[in-house]
Amino acid sequence: MLSRLVLLSASSLKGSGPIGAGVVQATRCLRTSSQSLAPVPPLPEEGGKVRHGIFPEEFFQLLYPKTGVTGPYMLGTGLLCYLLSKEIYIVNHETIYALTIGGIIVYCVKKFGPGFAEFADKIYEEQLAKAEAAKESSISILAKSIEAEKKEQWRVEGRGLLFDAKRNNVAMLLETNMRERLHMVTNEVKRRLDYQIALQNLHRRMQQEHMINWVEKSVVSSITPQQEKESIAKCIADLKALAKTSQAQAAA
Amino acid sequence: MTVTLFDQFLSPTLFKMPLIAIALVSPWLLHHVVTTRFSSERLLSVKKVSVSALTKHIFQPLGPLGHKWALMFVSLFMFLITLNVLGLLPYTFTPTTQLSLTFSLALPLWLATVLIGFRLDPTRALAHMLPQGTPPLLIPVLIIIETISVMIRPLALAVRLMANLTAGHLLIHLISTGVFLLTSMMPMTAILALALLGLLTLLEIAVAVIQAYVFVLLLSLYLLENV
Repeated sequence: MLSRLVLLSASSLKGSGPIGAGVVQATRCLRTSSQSLAPVPPLPEEGGKVRHGIFPEEFFQLLYPKTGVTGPYMLGTGLLCYLLSKEIYIVNHETIYALTIGGIIVYCVKKFGPGFAEFADKIYEEQLAKAEAAKESSISILAKSIEAEKKEQWRVEGRGLLFDAKRNNVAMLLETNMRERLHMVTNEVKRRLDYQIALQNLHRRMQQEHMINWVEKSVVSSITPQQEKESIAKCIADLKALAKTSQAQAAA
Repeated sequence: MTVTLFDQFLSPTLFKMPLIAIALVSPWLLHHVVTTRFSSERLLSVKKVSVSALTKHIFQPLGPLGHKWALMFVSLFMFLITLNVLGLLPYTFTPTTQLSLTFSLALPLWLATVLIGFRLDPTRALAHMLPQGTPPLLIPVLIIIETISVMIRPLALAVRLMANLTAGHLLIHLISTGVFLLTSMMPMTAILALALLGLLTLLEIAVAVIQAYVFVLLLSLYLLENV
């Protein structure tokens, strides 16, 4: 935060006056951050380590070699006592108020700090998740289109088989059709020939019947009544004779 | 470094050099610079979310003409809330306790809303002087009353903010003086007064945030009437 003030004043100092450029060059060895802006340097994961919420850990490490663990605390206590005893800092009503609001701030930070940090982290997680989701969706879309393309290529390979099968199908249909037609033709021809045969048979039968009728008629008409009486008398005599023989046979 | 009751309201000076410019500008150092990073650290991401939520809340009723004021209002809100909340720390100077600051913020903005209203649709802007459905007998009186109420708005905005903060700070100082003096004489009363001071401080934190919000909300309402 205060580094922003430094940056603002430093950038104005660079261009100003005769000593500006000299200062820039002379202080080059004191600069600690990277001097280029690309690639963007990553933000640190954790904030600076602090002790008791305000004092940076580096201060304690700075004093550790000379004064040990209790050094900074002794420094703080001594400073406070000096300020109070020399009346550089006077205890007045503002001190009471400072203690009150200090207590309230500490209480709020302790109570709501973790919740606040969780909320902030959740915002970050959501942002990251959105970006990840966009990336994942585009990756999956591309993978699906790759799969579809591969399938199309496989289909193209099978095209020859498909055409052969189709060709076979068509040939079979043609064959079937031709056989059906032959069958039909054969049947038709047979029908016509059968008709002719039936016609001839009819003719012959009619001729036969006509002849038989004519013969019968002429025979019947040729029989005279005299002949008829003679044949009937002969038949009766034969029958009597037969009757006598059968009677004899039956008696024997 | 004796601090009287009125020292907190003096414009800060260092060897007779006025420091008011630093007092007004240095709170901005506490706000993050807008970065082009994809994701920022915790405070900045929460600030982004809360500022966008506030913007949506204030500017939803306003139309597209009102959205031009978004930057103005949101930066005004951030300015006021930072000044107010920082002023709650001990030994700090709160610029918003000076009527000069609050009035110089309220008057131009209110006047801008009124002038925009008269420029865009003078009939409708004048019609605001008379609410709907007033009985005819009251019309002359009501016109005068409504005009006065419109004219008093900038003063009301300025004094509301200034008086709330000044009163709060004064009360805090008085009660903490009381606690300070009572600790030697009547410790139990001092403890009660300390409890009161704690509650008052909580109230003052709330007031600091709410007054900034109310200032900006009222200005957006005046804009809504006129835009």
